[in-house]
Amino acid sequence: MRITCPHCGARDAQEFSYLGAADLQRPEGMAASEAAMATYVYQRDNPAGVHRELWYHAAGCHAWLVVTRDTRSHEITAVEVAKVRKAGATA
Amino acid sequence: MAETARSWAARGAWAGIAQAGQLGATGPAGVTATLLDGFGLATLIAAPGGAAALSQAIVARLGIALPAMPKIASSASHDVIWSGPDQWLLRATTREGFGSLLEALSAQAAVSDQSDARAALRLSGPRVRDVLAKGVMLDLHPAAFAVGDTGLTSIAHIGVHLWRLADGPDGSVFEIMVARSMVGSFWSWFAASAAEFGCRVSTGRG
Ligand SMILES: [Zn+2]
Repeated sequence: MRITCPHCGARDAQEFSYLGAADLQRPEGMAASEAAMATYVYQRDNPAGVHRELWYHAAGCHAWLVVTRDTRSHEITAVEVAKVRKAGATA
Repeated sequence: MAETARSWAARGAWAGIAQAGQLGATGPAGVTATLLDGFGLATLIAAPGGAAALSQAIVARLGIALPAMPKIASSASHDVIWSGPDQWLLRATTREGFGSLLEALSAQAAVSDQSDARAALRLSGPRVRDVLAKGVMLDLHPAAFAVGDTGLTSIAHIGVHLWRLADGPDGSVFEIMVARSMVGSFWSWFAASAAEFGCRVSTGRG
């Protein structure tokens, strides 16, 4: 599998580290219930299909990336720089 | 006393690791390696939104602009080498005046002197890409990796930063930088990989 880093170009997957789901929303700090926090920390979907996930270009430019990957075929349809997405996100 | 003073003399990154001479196969060298020493090196990291101001400061002082892509830009005495988003290496061919240059740039960037922290090697020769192909996952064919291109990747699990300089008489010329703490392992890979082609090793500055 190769991931096309927006900074570095297409690189072998061994240059990257996987973190997990990209779109988790952290519940609002002290106000969150224990159940909501437990769900945020532990519960994950395991989709057979399109998955948005975080990868770190550890052996390259050291950028965090959001990769959209089909878990059945490893086809990658989008790679975004996580920092840019975060800066543009509504809090 | 003189003995004590000598024991604190600065050692180049290649000292005790590699030396000038012939390596591997005899006859015409397939690869030429120059062990580089004496350069000044620093990392520059721009604050968010600060890359343009940093680039202007570099243009004003050195006459070269910071590349926004994985490229190297060079003057006669300095290089700026892309090393990640909003990050660059600044290299000077000598360390004279390097400290005051870094001091001046520290208003525009997080600056960290790395002059003694990396080892650098310049490689050329008719078989240079055959050697690098044993360890580099990037396509270094001239059609894919142009003069002035740079890449951060790994060789034998060792993080490397490499770039391509203007061609020499034997074709492509590359420079490779590795963390000084890894230079022994890197040289072990390089010496084993270059041996079959024969390698002429020399020392140089810059
Ligand atoms: Zn990258």
